[in-house]
Amino acid sequence: MAGGGGGARKSRAAGPVPPTTTLVLDNGADTIKAGFVSDDTSDDKPRIIPNCLARDRHRKIYVGSELEKCKDFSEMAFRRPVEKGFIVNWEAQKEIWDREFFDDKAPQKCNPSETRLILTEQPNSLPSLQTHCDQIVFEEYGFASYYRGVGPVFNAYRDIQSIFRTPQSTIDSPAEVILLIDSGYSHTTVTPILQGRPLHPAIRRLDVGGKLMTNYLTRLLSVRHFDMRNEPYIVNEMKEAVCYTSLNFKGDLEKTWKGTRGEKREDYLSGAGIAKDYVLPDSHTHFHGVVRDYEPGVSARARKGIVSTEDVLTLRNERFVVPELLFNPSDIGIRQPGIADLVKQSLLALPIGLWPGLLANIVVVGGNSLSEGFCQRLQTEILKRFPDECRVRVARPEDPITSTWLGAANFAKHEHASRLEVTKQEYEEHGAAWVARKFAAGLGLDS
Amino acid sequence: MNNFGVIEVASQKTKNAPGWAYVPDTGLTPAAAAALQPLNRKRAARDKANVGAPDLTARQDAKIRKDLEALDRDSHRDAQIPIPPKAGGTRAQNKHTPNVRKILQSQKTFANHLDDYQAFLALAESNPQLAAQVNKPTPTTTARNSPAPSTITTASTNKRSSAASKRAAATAAAAAAAKEEKGGSNKKSKTQPQSKPADDDDDVEMIDAPDTALPSPNIAEATTGPDSSEPLPPRPSASTSLDPTTTATTTTEPEPTKPQSYPPDGTILPPYNRPPPTPHPGDDDPLLISRVPPFPTDEELRALMTAPPLSYLEARAQWTEEEEGRYPVRRFCEVCGYWGRVKCIKCGARVCALECLEAHREECLVRYGL
Repeated sequence: MAGGGGGARKSRAAGPVPPTTTLVLDNGADTIKAGFVSDDTSDDKPRIIPNCLARDRHRKIYVGSELEKCKDFSEMAFRRPVEKGFIVNWEAQKEIWDREFFDDKAPQKCNPSETRLILTEQPNSLPSLQTHCDQIVFEEYGFASYYRGVGPVFNAYRDIQSIFRTPQSTIDSPAEVILLIDSGYSHTTVTPILQGRPLHPAIRRLDVGGKLMTNYLTRLLSVRHFDMRNEPYIVNEMKEAVCYTSLNFKGDLEKTWKGTRGEKREDYLSGAGIAKDYVLPDSHTHFHGVVRDYEPGVSARARKGIVSTEDVLTLRNERFVVPELLFNPSDIGIRQPGIADLVKQSLLALPIGLWPGLLANIVVVGGNSLSEGFCQRLQTEILKRFPDECRVRVARPEDPITSTWLGAANFAKHEHASRLEVTKQEYEEHGAAWVARKFAAGLGLDS
Repeated sequence: MNNFGVIEVASQKTKNAPGWAYVPDTGLTPAAAAALQPLNRKRAARDKANVGAPDLTARQDAKIRKDLEALDRDSHRDAQIPIPPKAGGTRAQNKHTPNVRKILQSQKTFANHLDDYQAFLALAESNPQLAAQVNKPTPTTTARNSPAPSTITTASTNKRSSAASKRAAATAAAAAAAKEEKGGSNKKSKTQPQSKPADDDDDVEMIDAPDTALPSPNIAEATTGPDSSEPLPPRPSASTSLDPTTTATTTTEPEPTKPQSYPPDGTILPPYNRPPPTPHPGDDDPLLISRVPPFPTDEELRALMTAPPLSYLEARAQWTEEEEGRYPVRRFCEVCGYWGRVKCIKCGARVCALECLEAHREECLVRYGL
């Protein structure tokens, strides 16, 4: 449904010169990925800005990228403008954007009236939130033109086949068919994409994301070791450092069991290659945790106070139980299917003829996919759920966190961007509801 | 606990609710009846409504729910972090437009927005009166609005499930209605000359459906000229009248420009045009033949690619009926995380073995007493 057909093009020709630079913003719940793209030059990778207001234990407040200056992350508290993947609190979001892009001394200074904005959003947003977003972009900042698109879809504009290492001669842009799994801070979504158009009836969401996993690890640690509930930053760091996706859950669980009373299990005592010691930051000499191989006895001694200089946690099944939530959310009582069943449910909404293409082109992005073994586990789980004849390929780009941004940067140079964008003039002429409808309609069909 | 042996059973909070209620006896539900008097032991085990459920008491259910809510929160304590004042002097206080001011001051959470949206959907659905009222004028307006080539596309969209179009309508209407949430200020936006969209809002609040039917012919005549994408702007007034059918047609409005952009019988996914793989002697072997499912027709693809987005709750993955109890829920030891093989008699929590059971008992005693 190309809402802006002949009429739109004409008005743009009559209006001011179209902007040459584009600000591409992947406004995630945890971090903003931001960079400029213009016709000839473009940032080859985005700047990653923490999307939060943070307060340390001395009650000093850090906004966005100021967090880099922070050393001591103990008892850090966060306020995030993005909730469930959608920008909800504009007061905080505006403050962060202002400081990063629009203030005089902003690190990525940009003049909105001469810039095009490409902003990502999560699929299936609420209309009211979308309207808020459009109104802020045009009425507060006054961007020259703007497109707000579903984040996962932008990945189609990357060179997908090189991620799969498929030999090829030509690069399709957008990719003909991919099944994109985006596992981020707030949730995990499955989006089938055909020639850069999301197949909306088949988009599915699992409400398990990095935040839930960090909180779950916090709970496990608080029950078994120390009370870590006021240390979200430290626990998150620990999660990223030690958690892995188990390829043999039952076996690993067996290896990490201490056994019945009095039983001395060999695997438990030796750690079986799974147990790791994690040295917590002490806020004096070192400010980041350190992972060490498990040394039998160290943590026990530390607990008794013999070696009291450092706090050591021995992590055993915590290491793989946490990412397991993506595959079996029912483990903690979430009544939702795991990520592999998510794929299945998504495909069931589509004609079978599309299955082979989608299954052979599964791309995983988002921070959770960085956990070791994630792709392999996902591939085996998906294989089990589909006919033998379907070939299943799961690939993760080298940079799963910035992948959406890189895709969006390619999109900014693509002819589709000029078809989809809305100029400020059009917004003022037709209103927010029209803009929302145009964005919802997307590319429509053209081939 | 020296209450002269009196044990307080009910909690303090329930005092303003009566301890009993008349409940209509509608007879036994099939599941309950089967549980009371199973016909056959085997079948009773199989036919249980929800295999996972009997394991859970209401108390455990509540605990799980509470735990999940805690896991979903951003921080353990609710952090109220104010926005720090600017370091280098105050930023020029540029004036916000009313819309922006409203958005910036809004303290709504995502849950609030979601509730609003749900309420709106419910309203749109439970208003068949309005729907019937505006049902008649709609065909005429569409006929006037849409130039000849668009008839094909409107037909194709009609083929789509009515649910989908209804949803689209609701979404579009909600988008428009979002602007007037929290009682938008009428006076301000009327005095404000530059922003037309705001004026649209005001029309919505005042004028009812019959009025919107009147201006539409003029608009249609005025705008079916060269630029066919124009009939959109006046639409919001119609779409906000909380009526599924009118809005359903309005959502198809952007389509008039579409048919020119693709050939009516062109294939959406082009055929494979690269060199075929090198032949292999086993290619004709009947045992090695793989069956390729029929490729979806263009019409199917077209419908899929232009389908409107699902709503937030529709997109949430859920177990289907048959999958719900297919595999038993895995239970873990609440202390150490190994399989939960033993149940605490008192509270039903799972633990793995004696050692963990003892650790659990301490907590259990604190929480529930002896």
